[in-house]
Amino acid sequence: MAPAAPAAPAGIRFDGVTVAYHGTVVLDALDLTVEPGEVMALLGPSGSGKTTALRAVAGFVRPVAGRVLLGDRDVTDLPPHRRGIGMVVQQYALFPHMRVEDNVAFGLKARRTPKSEIRARVTEALELTGMAGYARRHPRELSGGQQQRVAIARALAVRPEVLLLDEPLSALDAQLRSGMLAELARLHRELPDVSILYVTHDQVEALTLADRIAVMDRARLRACGTPRELYRAPTDAFTASFVGGANLLPVTVRASGAEFAGTVIEVGTDGVAPGASATLCVRPHLVGLGDGPNRITGTLAELQWRGATHRLYVDVGGHRVMADVRELRQPPALGDEVALHFASEDAVLLPAGVAHG
Amino acid sequence: MAEVAPQVRVVRGGSRPGGGSRRSHTAPRPYKPLLWALPPIALLGLVFLYPLALVVRQSFQPDTGGFSLQPYADVLASESFGRALWTTVWLAVAATAGCLVLGFLLALVIAFVPFPGARTVARFVDVYLSFPSFLITLALLFIYGGTGIVGSFRFLTTPWGVLLAEITYFTPFVMRPLLAAFSGIDTAQIEAAGSLGARAPRIVRRIILPEALPALAAGGSLVLVLCLNEFGIVLFTGAKGVTTLPMLVYGKAILESDYPGACVVAVVNVLISVGLYGLYRVVSRRAGA
Amino acid sequence: MLVHSRKARWALWTVFLVLFLPLFALPLLVVLGASFATHWSGVLPSGPTGANYRAATRGEALQALTTSLVTALTASVLALAAGTWAALAAAALGRRSRKAMDALFMLPVAVPSVVVGLAVLVAFSRPPMLLNGTRWIVITAHAVLVTAFAYQSVAAAITRLDPAYEQAAASLGARPGYVLWRVRLPLLLPSLTAAAGLCFALSMGELSATMMLYPPDWTPLPVLIYAATDRGALFTGSAIAVVLMAATLLVLLAVSRLRTRASYR
Repeated sequence: MAPAAPAAPAGIRFDGVTVAYHGTVVLDALDLTVEPGEVMALLGPSGSGKTTALRAVAGFVRPVAGRVLLGDRDVTDLPPHRRGIGMVVQQYALFPHMRVEDNVAFGLKARRTPKSEIRARVTEALELTGMAGYARRHPRELSGGQQQRVAIARALAVRPEVLLLDEPLSALDAQLRSGMLAELARLHRELPDVSILYVTHDQVEALTLADRIAVMDRARLRACGTPRELYRAPTDAFTASFVGGANLLPVTVRASGAEFAGTVIEVGTDGVAPGASATLCVRPHLVGLGDGPNRITGTLAELQWRGATHRLYVDVGGHRVMADVRELRQPPALGDEVALHFASEDAVLLPAGVAHG
Repeated sequence: MAEVAPQVRVVRGGSRPGGGSRRSHTAPRPYKPLLWALPPIALLGLVFLYPLALVVRQSFQPDTGGFSLQPYADVLASESFGRALWTTVWLAVAATAGCLVLGFLLALVIAFVPFPGARTVARFVDVYLSFPSFLITLALLFIYGGTGIVGSFRFLTTPWGVLLAEITYFTPFVMRPLLAAFSGIDTAQIEAAGSLGARAPRIVRRIILPEALPALAAGGSLVLVLCLNEFGIVLFTGAKGVTTLPMLVYGKAILESDYPGACVVAVVNVLISVGLYGLYRVVSRRAGA
Repeated sequence: MLVHSRKARWALWTVFLVLFLPLFALPLLVVLGASFATHWSGVLPSGPTGANYRAATRGEALQALTTSLVTALTASVLALAAGTWAALAAAALGRRSRKAMDALFMLPVAVPSVVVGLAVLVAFSRPPMLLNGTRWIVITAHAVLVTAFAYQSVAAAITRLDPAYEQAAASLGARPGYVLWRVRLPLLLPSLTAAAGLCFALSMGELSATMMLYPPDWTPLPVLIYAATDRGALFTGSAIAVVLMAATLLVLLAVSRLRTRASYR
């Protein structure tokens, strides 16, 4: 008997999930819901607990508290093989002693799916990932990108409600990675019912692929929202710097805006009392060179040519401000006095007490 | 595996409201792995531990029956036991020392001053380990035997002949872990030390020796135990003058049919060997960790 | 390279050869030479003959060869099965119980083989398990002696096995038994064959425990070699020893061929 196809697409729910090893908490009371059919990226540096969260869904780590739900099923106490998930890990873990087709058929055979159906589903999965011509090969005869596709086909062949991807692209070189990103996006369009939990430390992957991003840091969830929300209006300094990179400027709130290095910048201060310290977040590429609104001046400390752009590091009142500007014909020299500006709507005021991340 | 295999999605529908039960997080069925470990343990108990226990029991049962310390008193007081114990221990210690020095030197050359054919020699060492020890004595019989190449029959019947044979046979047991450890040493490290002007003896002392210590400890203790237990080499010399504890066990049990006596010697031999082996495991764990 | 000067290198190599050749190569060459000779009173053996081999490949000796092969084969299969089971079970245990199991299964290495022979003799010479006088007492003792080595190599291989494979298999819905049979054992196969070869070689050359308990109709090769040298037939003994080495090497070679195929599949 093959398991029936899922009646309704299932999401993932973390309900206060806490994981600890030998007394060290590596995931601290995570509350997070992945909607059915949604791509959720877990983004964070290494050691932030994002992989632990994924492994808690897969069943390889046991929470010391909290529940994990797939759809309306509480799977916290189920062993991995009864959870009905698909998983792709960084090093693919293709079975080296099996041909590609046997790798893809593995989950189906383990579930005693009828032979004829196995053949059809293997072909389908391999075609979906563009690996139909490689069925008779062994994993070691494939390139990294091809192995990646087989790993995805293997996970998809069992028709999981939930697909877990653990840094799936980090073993590929940069060029292959962008190709595979597009491929993953296409796969998700073709399988709209599959919920995907995508663990990565690469913000580009998260921004490109995810419907929503959950930012993790030191075992905790820092922020969760759509890529646009997190990028345009981050709610904390860690998220601001980790998603997209940011200038985080220490400011003092005034009645008319925020004062930074003696200049009052016009920015919305709703809810923050005047006189309080806060952090102003401005993306480097939204900072312009020369005169304009919210003009600040400083000395050029460092200049990097990056082909299409120049990155300027300017010391303003003892703080370093980054600006990415279109390639300059005649760049200023180090030590020159330069003026920077940015639009008020491009700046976000963050709560106080957060240093440079 | 004797587990009922519910299909993947059978458990569906057991919806539980949020905070309801945040308990029951002990590992599931912790007794199950233990259950799987039981059959091999039981088998080992039947064919090894139980027989060993019988040996201990018999060592307290003289032929006249009953429980008595008499066999121990008899054996421990006898001159032949004292001599065998002494011979066994010093032979084992000397052979181990010889194997460590020789094995370290040879492995050093194979690993760091490689010559054409060094890999073949390393392979040969592996093959050597799969031959029985008495072959060495057999060869020595031709070299030092009565009509042999060197022709001093006396030599083989002294402990020195046994010592030579044991060093020859057991040196590869030291070389193998050493070669494995050496292959883990980054040659860049040695080249860096060389480029800083360190001479070979200094590199050996400062870089190679510390890396090799765990392997030396492991190989050395294994050889020590194997030498204490060695039987074939001694048996083949046919020397009456060299009697070790295993020889004494064999002699008492098979030649004299003195089972209680054989069991007493066996118990003593096991205590020494297992004690040393336990020490080795503790030391090697320290060195490894 | 550790030694840069040419001269020093040659000096080292010479020392190496002077130590290595007489100690390790010479014994084997001597046995090989003697097996083709009738006398050895000078530097080289004399009286070339094939008679030793004629004696070593028929009658008693031939039977001893089959005895050794059957014993070694049976003992290694038993040891491999028990050792693999134990190592797999140990891997599933907690840290402390695993250490205890390691110690338990390595114990036969520490106990002298002669004592193992004596213990097996004492235990199986009485009802209800009366094996004394049958081939099974020899095979049992051999299996006990080599199980430790099977356990050790399989346990080492299991710790080297990347857990990602079994986790991938489990995430695909495979029960633990299916994962063991279809993923873990096939991946362990190269190590299993290596362990089998080791067990076989050790059993082929086992003398100590065998001397304690072999029945007259089940005489393995090492015992026959000892009997030959003991009655002074050194040259025949050498020929039988060469047969023993050749048989061991042939089986090891076959096993390593099997291994390469297993790892390249």
